[in-house]
Amino acid sequence: MQGRPVRRVAITGMGAISPLGVGANALWQGLCEGRSAIGPLQHVDAGRLRVKVAAQVPASFDPAANIDERTLPMLDRTSEFALHAAREAVAQSGLDFASNGLGLRTAVIVGTGVGGETTQDEQSRRLYGENSNRAHPLTIVRLMTNASASQISIAWGLRGPTFAVASACASANHAIIQAAQMIRWGLADVAITGGTEACLTYGALRAWEAMRVLADDTCRPFSVNRRGLVLGEGAGIFVLESMEHAQARGATILAELAGSGMTADATDIVMPSADGAASAMRQALDDAGLAPQDVDYINAHGTGTQANDVTETKAIHLAFGAHADRLAVSSTKSMHGHALGASGALELVAAIGALRDNVVPPTANLDKVDPACDLDYVPNVAREMPVRAVLSNSFAFGGLNAVLALKRAP
Amino acid sequence: MTATTQQQVFEIIATQAKIDVATIKPESTLKDLGIASLEAIELIFDIEEHFDITFPDQQGANFDSDTAQSLVDAVQKALDEKAAAGEGAK
Repeated sequence: MQGRPVRRVAITGMGAISPLGVGANALWQGLCEGRSAIGPLQHVDAGRLRVKVAAQVPASFDPAANIDERTLPMLDRTSEFALHAAREAVAQSGLDFASNGLGLRTAVIVGTGVGGETTQDEQSRRLYGENSNRAHPLTIVRLMTNASASQISIAWGLRGPTFAVASACASANHAIIQAAQMIRWGLADVAITGGTEACLTYGALRAWEAMRVLADDTCRPFSVNRRGLVLGEGAGIFVLESMEHAQARGATILAELAGSGMTADATDIVMPSADGAASAMRQALDDAGLAPQDVDYINAHGTGTQANDVTETKAIHLAFGAHADRLAVSSTKSMHGHALGASGALELVAAIGALRDNVVPPTANLDKVDPACDLDYVPNVAREMPVRAVLSNSFAFGGLNAVLALKRAP
Repeated sequence: MTATTQQQVFEIIATQAKIDVATIKPESTLKDLGIASLEAIELIFDIEEHFDITFPDQQGANFDSDTAQSLVDAVQKALDEKAAAGEGAK
């Protein structure tokens, strides 16, 4: 891209529903404590599934809290997560969308890997399993991939560009980047963005079993005894705002979303490429005006699969050269699991927390570092250290890479 | 005369890899046969469906070094366990 972007992007609100609890703070505190939310799979069909563990949003999450009775029946679990996270983010931002026509200048862009999977699964069971002739009349409005974005738009009267972004496990990062570009180039002053996923259904779990990439014990990124990824769920939603707009109203700025990089491997549908990931990281650095040595922390994609962890390590070496050895790199998926289309959003909470509090969350369950993974993965215990700039990596099936670059609030 | 377990497994491999079954040797690795990542997972699925068995999760995960014979052995082990568990065990 030629020339500097027109406007800088501030993050002024964040919210999360995650396996570590309700609220961005519950997530960040859990990560700092090195607490893993991975546990035995709670599912009505758990007895006949081979999947044994998952990172699930706790039962203490009440989807009905503060959502009106007429809206509630419209919501798949994905939209429940997204609406609750959005409420937290909007409240933190202190924005009033009803005043000065701000609603019309606000975009809503939400990433999700598959959208309303719970709804899809329920209706399939009804039609094919129980031979019912009728699907529930709200099936379509619940399951459509844009449902979360649309529900957020309706809840706050946000009338700017609104749509969903899907890129499997990179959906949240792609959505956040899209939202940031809207602000940079003046298509919106504010954007509500992030990712949401709730796909721990019988059908989806069976499909993941068949791919043979799930761990049966826990998620151990970069550890020699890692056995695969652990599925998670949740949502992270953020308020992005042009820096000018945020500063003019005296908003508390959590961090600056300074740049991004997006590439495709164009090689294999599942096997990752170090070159593709490295070029996305390089792009993010360039776009943010960062030199490799300006970065202190990378929130890794770090799924805990054999292929990802070695390839991502190589990619970090390629992108950072000699500075790679001085980076703190951690995978918080070891604690919140792999929330697929929401994972980049949960990880952005970690990236913002690191910049704000000068604490790097650890990689939990890191027993013994794989000799093929030779970076500093901040094993098991959070580290207090100055954090000036952060990259947050998401790499998806389909060979899609999306990297965020963040700086401290100015 | 029904085909041996080895013949059946080799036939499934040949179909998946789109090669002549005669070219498969017990010591051939899946990599030698040109079967990588997703094809290997499909192969496991085809074998499971054919024999009505389920491989343990971590088995067959190392497609670079697994040989055709190791797959036959794994099938035989699963069939023996199934027989031991009695009729109708799924």
